[in-house]
Amino acid sequence: MKILGISAHYHDSAAALVVDGLPVCAVQEERLSRHKNDAGFPISAVEWCLEHAGIAPADLDAVVFYERSMLKFERILTCALRTFPRSWRSFPNAMKSSLGEKVWVRGIIASYLGVPKKKILFTGHHEAHAAAAFLTAPTRKAAILTADGVGEWASLTAGHGDRRTDGTTDITLLREIRYPHSLGMLYSTFTAYLGFAVNEDEYKVMGLAAYGRPTMVDRVRKLIRRTPDGAFALDMEYFDYYTTAARSYSAKFVELFGRPRQQYEPIDFDTPDGRRFADCAASVQRVLEDTLVDLTRALHEETRLSDLCLGGGVALNGVANARILAESGFARVFVPSAPGDAGCALGAALYADRLYFGNPDRDVPYHPFWGPTVDAQELARAAREDGQTVEELDETSLMERTADALAAGRIVGWMDGASEFGPRALGHRSILAAPHSREMRDRLNRDIKFREEFRPFAPVTPIESADQYFELPPGGAGLGRFMSGVFPVRPEWRDRLAGITHVDGSARLQTLERGMAPRLHALLEMYGRRTGIPVLLNTSFNVAGEPIVNRAVEGYLTFRRCGIDAVVAGPFFVTKNASRKATTLQEGMA
Amino acid sequence: MRLSLGARVDRMLRPVHRWIWSDADRRVRKLLAFAEVEGDGGRDIIRAAEVTPDPLLRRLYLAHAIDELHHSDLFRDRGAALLQAHHARTGGAPASNVLPGGHGLDDLCVEDEPDEKLLAFLHIAEKSAAGRFAIYREVVDDDPPTKAIFEEILRDEVFHMNYAYKQLTRVSPKKYRRYVWWARASRLWKRYLRLAAVVAGLFGRILLTLQYFILLPPFAWFAKRAERREGLGWIPVRRDRRQSPTSQY
Repeated sequence: MKILGISAHYHDSAAALVVDGLPVCAVQEERLSRHKNDAGFPISAVEWCLEHAGIAPADLDAVVFYERSMLKFERILTCALRTFPRSWRSFPNAMKSSLGEKVWVRGIIASYLGVPKKKILFTGHHEAHAAAAFLTAPTRKAAILTADGVGEWASLTAGHGDRRTDGTTDITLLREIRYPHSLGMLYSTFTAYLGFAVNEDEYKVMGLAAYGRPTMVDRVRKLIRRTPDGAFALDMEYFDYYTTAARSYSAKFVELFGRPRQQYEPIDFDTPDGRRFADCAASVQRVLEDTLVDLTRALHEETRLSDLCLGGGVALNGVANARILAESGFARVFVPSAPGDAGCALGAALYADRLYFGNPDRDVPYHPFWGPTVDAQELARAAREDGQTVEELDETSLMERTADALAAGRIVGWMDGASEFGPRALGHRSILAAPHSREMRDRLNRDIKFREEFRPFAPVTPIESADQYFELPPGGAGLGRFMSGVFPVRPEWRDRLAGITHVDGSARLQTLERGMAPRLHALLEMYGRRTGIPVLLNTSFNVAGEPIVNRAVEGYLTFRRCGIDAVVAGPFFVTKNASRKATTLQEGMA
Repeated sequence: MRLSLGARVDRMLRPVHRWIWSDADRRVRKLLAFAEVEGDGGRDIIRAAEVTPDPLLRRLYLAHAIDELHHSDLFRDRGAALLQAHHARTGGAPASNVLPGGHGLDDLCVEDEPDEKLLAFLHIAEKSAAGRFAIYREVVDDDPPTKAIFEEILRDEVFHMNYAYKQLTRVSPKKYRRYVWWARASRLWKRYLRLAAVVAGLFGRILLTLQYFILLPPFAWFAKRAERREGLGWIPVRRDRRQSPTSQY
């Protein structure tokens, strides 16, 4: 059975193809369109998936959309009615956006793909999140918690999943918390207040939190109170997102927390405002963690299961995930590589396969590499045409050459095999560097990523070595598989791992099994033999404001225009030819 | 440099431009908006470099894109500096949406365009931008750092305009004039579409706002009453929800 899953129209649109119960491919539209957070209908992603699998749209048994669009429209309309007349400004835009495209998704899919409408199915938004989290995890029975900004009505759900021995599958969402009460919206409101982009920069708040102290927890708790049944409710007096899309927080919020930061205002921790912003981030981070720990602890007591699957955009918060693992009572916590809306494309397809069509359960390969494969020849061709230095090496020599370059303080763009599905670079589209000094971190932030100084970088290490350098709780290495947890760097190693040690002594670790990315694993071992520490700094292969590179030529052009010293794909090791002057536009006029 | 019709109109509107740039808040907004537009333009041209089969064009597009991204940084840094100074003087009053998004007036559709069309489009767009930046340079006399930025960018835009034309004559020696005219017409058509969309949007907004105040009040009363009856906290999930895979509800 061939099932195509689609997520679109909010942010991070994507497509995923499941054939006979197993994922064949999955890719975010932004990787192909090259527009970050592309929310449009993922036609390029769909076309690539079908082409990759060698099937035509007519061969599809079903196309599954990741949410019920009319139910979502009902929520938007109901909220406009509930907030009448304050919602008068946002109402026309909301209606134009919904009625202009979003509610006609069945017709849009039918017209793009030419499939009969009866083949187009829908899942609930959080059911797709739950399926993406549970059906891709190596567990047979688990509690499930999904949390994001909002889906149709739900912003958070709790339930459980069961992959039975008779081959049937069950995912049951027991209860939900509904919009406007939302942990995701709470965090996003602070993201906006701190001058960052909503739905994009939430991880900056997490990074900033380490610089502050949670001195405003009491104030944040005025915004979110616990209900007697163990859930939570937001005090909507502090929020404006319920009535307008233009602003998330209200005047009362500003009264409570002070002047908001503007987008281009530098964060200087030596100033009172800079410290206040950091304290704000630390406080909302603490409240988010406490709330999630309480919710998951209650879910553990209720289900008595040992495994927890987390889904939804909130599951990208690695600090909270680590606390859940340590404090909720669950022995193992699984977060998929794409817990956000993009992952819903895969979740929706798997949900339809197992629960709508009742197909037998199958183990899904536990890796994130479902995207397009890099063409190394394309890199070599472009580099040679431009007169750059291209070395073609056998595997051992390539590893030695790369490890030598890294040990010498060079920064390497690394492309290998199929691209990752999800927001993290997990070893197939990565920028790698030595993790030992703060200077390297600052150089990466300044010359390559063009981003704020306070942003940390993540380490990658073979799973066998992880415990030596990082304080991992039981289950921590598993959470680190897709870089989903933040753990302390062992104090004795912090000075020698200064490039990846955040200000609070933590790091968002990726623990790498040889089978998941054998070439990177080999490189880590080679680097370890040279330096004594098999740890590398691993950051996504892109610059600020752009999606992670997909094709070799995209990696090559990124390498050409920033401070990356070398780029690797297949057997090729490419460096900049120092003797060749950069092409100038004057040459174009010759 | 021969001025286009748009540039001549812009010249006549110089007092309007002077008025726009005279206000500190508007100046900041313009600069930050330019930063966005130049940044988006730079990324579009990088995309052109990624998809072109012509190695020379790939290198030239890359150099062009680096310029555009540099312009974006110049505008952003200056806008941010003025914003800081403005904030220090006025004590705040931040606007919640200082930065308009989007790709400006000159949207590129790189994926679908052959190099000839793209080069013609770049030539026309850069020529227009050069004309406009020349005016902006004149109307910010009171602000030497901003004026210096416009001067630097203006020099680059002239280069961009000329290299694009030269390369167009290289890749399409027989039809390059036709491509330039086509680019002009296409630009006008896009402007018309944009204007039409704005007008249609305005009408739509007026009609929807009228409907909001005329039709919605009774429903709003019921919705508010229903909301008051709703409890807070956990809501059990209906067991029948998964039984309708074809339903959008």
